[in-house]
Amino acid sequence: MIDYFALAVSHGLMLIAAWFLVTRRDLDDERPESTKKPLKRP
Amino acid sequence: MIHDLPFVGFLAALMGLALRRPFLFILAYVYIDIVSPQRLTYSLLNSVPISLIAVALAVGSWMLVDRKEDSRIAPRQLLILVLLGWCAVTTQYADFPNNALDKWDWVWKCLAFAAFLPLTLRTRLRIESLLTFMVLSAASIIIVGGIKTVAGGGGYGALDLMVANNSGLYEGSTISTVAIAIIPTILWLGKYGTIFKRDWKVKLFVAALVFACLLIPIGTSTRTGLLCIGLLALLKLRDSKRKLLYLGMIGALGLAAVPFLPQSFTDRMSTIKTYQQDESAATRVAVWKWTWDYVQQHPLGGGFDMYRQNHIRYDIVTADGTTDNARLDSTLTTDHARAYHSAYFEMLGEQGWPGLILWGLIALGGLFRMEVIRRRYRKADGEEAWIAPLASALQAGQLLYMLGACFIAIAFQPFMFMLVGAQIGLDTYLKRKRAETGFRPIVKRRAPAEPQPATA
Repeated sequence: MIDYFALAVSHGLMLIAAWFLVTRRDLDDERPESTKKPLKRP
Repeated sequence: MIHDLPFVGFLAALMGLALRRPFLFILAYVYIDIVSPQRLTYSLLNSVPISLIAVALAVGSWMLVDRKEDSRIAPRQLLILVLLGWCAVTTQYADFPNNALDKWDWVWKCLAFAAFLPLTLRTRLRIESLLTFMVLSAASIIIVGGIKTVAGGGGYGALDLMVANNSGLYEGSTISTVAIAIIPTILWLGKYGTIFKRDWKVKLFVAALVFACLLIPIGTSTRTGLLCIGLLALLKLRDSKRKLLYLGMIGALGLAAVPFLPQSFTDRMSTIKTYQQDESAATRVAVWKWTWDYVQQHPLGGGFDMYRQNHIRYDIVTADGTTDNARLDSTLTTDHARAYHSAYFEMLGEQGWPGLILWGLIALGGLFRMEVIRRRYRKADGEEAWIAPLASALQAGQLLYMLGACFIAIAFQPFMFMLVGAQIGLDTYLKRKRAETGFRPIVKRRAPAEPQPATA
């Protein structure tokens, strides 16, 4: 029971953290939106 | 053993999210390397090389889609690669070639990942998310240990940490050292973290996790852990603004905790003073002497697992009678193939002087660079207020590891090499930032608001 509780808490928090990270643009790029290079046209 | 399906679901969800943000593949590998879910489960995860898949996705996605222009290479990454190369050389002429290959099989991955990791740590949030995953992964073991200690399930070699094979972080002394070493990082995440909203729930979790970390050396009855708690108290004294108040609180807390300590813990801790009567301590000293003598003849080391050839003789002193009137008897004991019980002698014996020097430079370089950052950003405010405390936390973690490593053969502990990777990542990140802004730490000035944490 203790094992399941500890695993549920730690893994649950990791999943929530991963979910939040997906929504954060500054995970990959800290530059303000305006200074980003425009994408090259194909 | 625990059922596979929750782990499979967790990994599938994490990998699915990583398809949107490939950096999460790095975090997935960090999780797998620390928790080893394949060791906790029955069969499904055992039959799939999840670690290999995760590292392939992590490196592959970095090569294919991640920006490289923000990545920097630090001298310590090169040192790690040189150490990796040197380990490859010693494995070629190892005294025990087959055993050496077994250890090489995981050591090279640990070193290669430590050298690779800083390349990916291009943003503050990436550094923070790496530390968050390291802490939460370790927490899955620490919370188990903490609760079982409170419930009275502790004792030397007796605390059930879900996995019985004493490997990785599931070994009592190792988890004791790591649990104490990450406390400064946990406190930093609680104060400066931006992933979770810093409300009462985060504060409560941080307090509970730190408490569980402190319980691990008690639950495992490891003397190394107790020494690490002592060093941690000293290191926090350095950072505290009201030192006398801090000392008073630590003293009061220590005294208040004594009546609650289990008998098995106090019995084992009392052997620190009477180490001559303790076989564990006596064999360590004997193995260290043997390793030292070996290196006089073989300065380049004997390769991984060379300890298997040792034959040691040592005295166990037993005391009969009362404290004031004791009769001491000395018994000569012999043993062979005793493990090093010290990362320093592990490096010296296996990798010789070149290996020990390289390993030492990597560790000492971390202490030095974190001190430089600590001082440089000590008075920084606003957007940069998080930097000096993080450097301080990573430096403290390294120091605590180096103390624990005196008594445990954890020279290639992947968790600690990830900590080294985080140090290098912080260092190269700040170097790039300084280059961009013309090296000017913000001092005593109101700055724009910190990055806003996500809200649920």
